[in-house]
Amino acid sequence: MKGLIVNIQRYSLQDGDGIRTIVFFKGCPLRCPWCSNPESISFEIETVKILSKCIHCPVCSYDVDECPSGAMTRFGQYMTVDEVIQEVVKDQIFYDTSNGGVTLSGGEVLSQSAFAKELLIELKKLNIHTAIETSGHGRTQALLDLANHLDLILFDLKIMDTIKAKQIIRADTTLINHNLKALVQSKKKVIPRIPLIPGYTLDDENIHAIIRLVKSLELKEIHILPFHQYGSNKYEFLNKDYKLKDVPVPSDSTVQDVKVKMEKEDLHVTIVH
Amino acid sequence: MDYDRIQLLKQQMFDTTREVSLERALLYTENYQTTENQPTIIRRAMATAHILSQVKISIREGELLAGNRTIKPRSGIISPEMDPYWIYNELDTIENRPQDPFYISEEDKKIYKDVLYPYWKGRSLKDYINNKITPEVREPVDKNIVKLNQTDKGQGHIIANFEKLLQSGLQATVDETSQLYKKNPENTFYDASLIVLKASQNHIVRYANLAMTLALQEDDNKRKDELLEIARISKKISKHKPSTFYEACQLLWYMCVILQYESNASSLSLGGFDKYMYSFYQNDIKRGVSKDNLREILTHFWIKVNDVVLIRSSNSAKYFAGFPTGYTITLGGLTENGRSAVNELSYLCLDTYQDIRLPQPNLGVRLNEFIERSFLNKTSETIRLGTGVPQIFNDEVIVPGFLNRGVSLEDARDYSVVGCVELSIPGKTYGLHDIALFNLLKVMELTLKENQKESFITFDDIIVRIKENIDRYVQLMIEGSNIVDEGHRAFAPVPLLSSLINQCLDKGKDITYGGAKYNFSGVQGIGIANLSDSLYALKKIVFEEERISLEELVDAMDNNFEGDVYETLRIRLINKYDKYGNDNDEVDNMSSDILRYYAKAVEKYQNPRGGIFTPGSYTVSAHIPLGEAVGATPDGRKSKEQLADGGLSPMVGRDGLGPTAVLKSISKLDNYLTTNGSLLNIKFNPKTLEGPEGIQKLSNFLLAFMKLKLQHIQFNVVSVDTLRKAQANPNEYKGLVVRVAGYSAFFTELCKGIQDDIIRRTEHNL
Repeated sequence: MKGLIVNIQRYSLQDGDGIRTIVFFKGCPLRCPWCSNPESISFEIETVKILSKCIHCPVCSYDVDECPSGAMTRFGQYMTVDEVIQEVVKDQIFYDTSNGGVTLSGGEVLSQSAFAKELLIELKKLNIHTAIETSGHGRTQALLDLANHLDLILFDLKIMDTIKAKQIIRADTTLINHNLKALVQSKKKVIPRIPLIPGYTLDDENIHAIIRLVKSLELKEIHILPFHQYGSNKYEFLNKDYKLKDVPVPSDSTVQDVKVKMEKEDLHVTIVH
Repeated sequence: MDYDRIQLLKQQMFDTTREVSLERALLYTENYQTTENQPTIIRRAMATAHILSQVKISIREGELLAGNRTIKPRSGIISPEMDPYWIYNELDTIENRPQDPFYISEEDKKIYKDVLYPYWKGRSLKDYINNKITPEVREPVDKNIVKLNQTDKGQGHIIANFEKLLQSGLQATVDETSQLYKKNPENTFYDASLIVLKASQNHIVRYANLAMTLALQEDDNKRKDELLEIARISKKISKHKPSTFYEACQLLWYMCVILQYESNASSLSLGGFDKYMYSFYQNDIKRGVSKDNLREILTHFWIKVNDVVLIRSSNSAKYFAGFPTGYTITLGGLTENGRSAVNELSYLCLDTYQDIRLPQPNLGVRLNEFIERSFLNKTSETIRLGTGVPQIFNDEVIVPGFLNRGVSLEDARDYSVVGCVELSIPGKTYGLHDIALFNLLKVMELTLKENQKESFITFDDIIVRIKENIDRYVQLMIEGSNIVDEGHRAFAPVPLLSSLINQCLDKGKDITYGGAKYNFSGVQGIGIANLSDSLYALKKIVFEEERISLEELVDAMDNNFEGDVYETLRIRLINKYDKYGNDNDEVDNMSSDILRYYAKAVEKYQNPRGGIFTPGSYTVSAHIPLGEAVGATPDGRKSKEQLADGGLSPMVGRDGLGPTAVLKSISKLDNYLTTNGSLLNIKFNPKTLEGPEGIQKLSNFLLAFMKLKLQHIQFNVVSVDTLRKAQANPNEYKGLVVRVAGYSAFFTELCKGIQDDIIRRTEHNL
């Protein structure tokens, strides 16, 4: 079995404890307009030309392997579980000393759940701490199956309003909420993660809805991820429309306000940059 | 602690213009001229004794520790007996040179030209060496494959047996030497040692007298008492062993200054300070001396070690920029029986360093499986301040490395660091740690050019021929190093230093004659990052993909990749072939293979003192001048561009996967073999180390470093932004201390080239 992987990023410090390697799955059912990994949305391998790297040869080969500058880039690669394992074990010494491990992210991991499950089983055999970052948008049983092999679940909560969520990000909030509850009931460690996106998720009503849900599930910890523009250049070379191009990042005080609001509800809040 | 006074001492030291002082040179020369028929070692001893009795001494305002090498702070003293030429040639430029400028008055220039230069011209160490070096040995030097060091200055890079000095006192050493001399009256080493040991005692008595005189003139009662105390201590320790921490620090510093007069050398390092000072510290605590008091003395000591700067030729200053004087201290480590040697004083050393944050002392911490987590965290906390201090050494690889060199288990556990990152057994080793540099990349360049027309050559053939050339030039480097070694024996024995190194007194031999217990010569293999990057790209593009022939590639190198076609080729070489530092086995195994080959080639040879050659891999700041000596290379590096910094670091900007991959790449080298030392620079963005978690993160990272069996790592934790600002407004950033190589320096005292290099080194987020 092979999975479609877009990137394996070593030395990540934000997506779970310690020093971690993130395996980014390619393909996502949602369409969050703020997505900072737009190369991970499509379920297809994508080939693009990154103009900022291009040295303008007299004739362009449009061939990733031939391009001397690396401007021609391929996003996505089918990998076996073994191939992924080979890559992630390279930093096992760092996981061991820092209580780190491997985080599966995307794209949406649940869209390749069979592959993810095999990968997680192998990781656990190697005594590696496992985490997932998911939108929760997938089959409940598949998610619970993965949870059996996971030490930590980072569960994204974005737009809580059912209609808006469907219209804007193509998400079914009923399914997401149901899955979150199922995970919590399975006694796994779950931390909700809230992207703070001006005009989308960063408004009082949405934040309160999130707090209500989190409290009702008796979760104690929450991550907030302030909007950033680091992904914006990727839209250019992917030739995709980026609606948030001119949206300023939220100010420190705005982020602090959200943090304080959540802390008032006895939540332990971590700002993830 | 009197913080105002600390501030005053710092100002006193750093707010003055550095000057050249001819005083030592004149006193030395004046005496040397009167001893023409005596053996060299006696002449050296008498000249040193003359300096010690005549040189102007001072106790500066507010000082609790006496002992100044020169009246004015941070003056450069010169030793024309080693090399009278470079300063003669640079008299008019030294004031305004880009790196390490020193002021010299017109009057002194004249004295130098009329008095010193004419006497030493033709009869210096440099002359001896130049006359002995054969055309064969000169070939690799001229081709910039080999750089021979220590041809123009006295003996340093050594740690005296301070433990013995402090535990028994000067008189005990004098008595021991006297008795040996009585039994062996023909032995000139004993004779010479006695002359300088007694002169050292008298020199300290001079300070006692000066302190007394100053005390009598002093109106302020508090200061008067302090001066009387300096007088009492100095008088006592000129003979007897110290009994308090204060007295021990004072004797230690006097000996540091006195040893400087003998050899005017870089890196008469301090070794395991927290080990040999601990009994004094402990006794004081038992006696009820307040911790604050001890802390104050220690802080004064830390400031003091910044007073000695080494004036170098402008060429040498490029290699060792920003005064790596080498008051290097290694904290923690292992006890004789293999347990953690961390004690209360180890913590205090880091705590007090956090207060002063100066380039010296060059603190290092030894890391091992037994290190206390609290000390590891204290270490991380200090690193996070951004001065590059302390650097980290890994016992788990260094101790076994020494065992492989025939060092006893107990001695190996006691290892310490001299200079930047050179590994040594304190009080027992004369290691000539910096005798030569070997430019491995240059050897590759030469080999490719020699073989460019061979149409049927394979990649394996190329590797074989590179190795043959390594053999050939290593042998010549050894010959050259041994000539320099013998030059020091003939011209620059150091009887005082030798009397403080184990076995010299027993054997009746100066260190330059092989008196020390361990006798190494350290030679550094440089350029493995660029070398493996180049070989890997060459293998792929010429032999596997067959895009171009070897001849075409060499042609592109000869043309420095000028022109569109070659530039496209260069871009391909940079982008399409993986580089060292990204944890790719195929690339990393190349550097591993060549560095190991170099190590094995070197360790076969002996030096005239009966010791072996030991390989190291560090560049100090030499990656810039050594890069200037190499043409364009198949890794896409252009002609004269710098090499990778540090020694083991990846080429700047070519490590794209973060620091874990960098460490993994280096872990594939056989780090047990580079027993002379190696160096890795890592830069972290200060933001990512914020908060209490930041400390834990760094500590955990260091534990992984330890498990990966790397020898050394050091950090710059300064943002690029701060460095740019400091470059633009040097006056506002006078106190900014950064890591250069195995040492730290004031950022604004570095020339632009090295500043830029520090800015460029990849910044990682932790």
